[in-house]
Amino acid sequence: MMTGSYPSEVVRVVCALLSPFILLFGIYVIAHGHYGPGGGFAGGVFVAVGVILPRLTLQEELAFKLVPTALGPVAAGVGLLLFLLIGTVPLLTGGAFLDYGAVEVAGVEPARMRYLGILVVEVAVGLAVSGAMLMLFDVLVARRTR
Amino acid sequence: MIVPLDLVIFAVLIVTAILALQVRDLLTAVALLAGYSLFAALLFAGVLAVDVALVEAALGAGLTGVLFIAAILATTRRTDASKNRRRTVVAGVSVAAFVGLLLFASGGLPDRGDPQAPAQQGVSQTYLANSLADTQTPNVVTSLLADYRSQDTLGETMVIVTAALAATLILARREDEGDVAGEGDER
Repeated sequence: MMTGSYPSEVVRVVCALLSPFILLFGIYVIAHGHYGPGGGFAGGVFVAVGVILPRLTLQEELAFKLVPTALGPVAAGVGLLLFLLIGTVPLLTGGAFLDYGAVEVAGVEPARMRYLGILVVEVAVGLAVSGAMLMLFDVLVARRTR
Repeated sequence: MIVPLDLVIFAVLIVTAILALQVRDLLTAVALLAGYSLFAALLFAGVLAVDVALVEAALGAGLTGVLFIAAILATTRRTDASKNRRRTVVAGVSVAAFVGLLLFASGGLPDRGDPQAPAQQGVSQTYLANSLADTQTPNVVTSLLADYRSQDTLGETMVIVTAALAATLILARREDEGDVAGEGDER
């Protein structure tokens, strides 16, 4: 049995307490890629770990009710779509594909637009990576437990 | 970069890699691979490639281990010993030849951190000089990955999502489908 409530109460309590903070750290790493190490890939992995840890230790119904299995493919697809959409936005204003600086918004300089574009791309990559990891984990354990 | 520390890490990397190939128990191999990734992350952090180190530690030492263990639980835990003596000899000779070739070729590489290296001459100068003014992003790695070379990142994201989708479609079972692998008594 891969998923399901873990026999040791210490492990269960510690994982239940830690996983929200791992999730939060993942979001921090995604959002903080501009200033420190990390970004979408590393942050997405941390988010996936924060979701997978309850699945390994908590009761199965509870863990899968917290984050349903369907969320993996949805997050991966939404992330990839978001990346593609943000790439096509500059095309409408005459820029090149993925050239966020070409988007003109009154009062925002091009460098700031690129800064914001990077943020959206990091969020998109984070969604796609965490969704893909969650999808892989779910299909691997579903073979065994169902 | 501290040379004695690097040498120790390289030794640990080689030993864990060989041990991971040698052990019969696949769970031990997974633990060894996680240790390998952890030391590789230390090595990356030692050359100040902190972004790579973070990904290696989170993915290599953390999540891949979990996925490997899930795969082991879904399949089998032990491997059979390779009895084919000739194949071992051929593999050993070709690996030794390849390592020798790489060592020989590495003699022609520029020193680590050499400012005159070809990789430091081309477009990377422009990126390093203009990143902050162009994107207001202090971390050049992020502005490279998500702005200057964002098409590469888009390709990588596509590869990851496609690979995960393909693996899911191959491994997923329909509700009405029985378990072929002789685990039917479990349900």
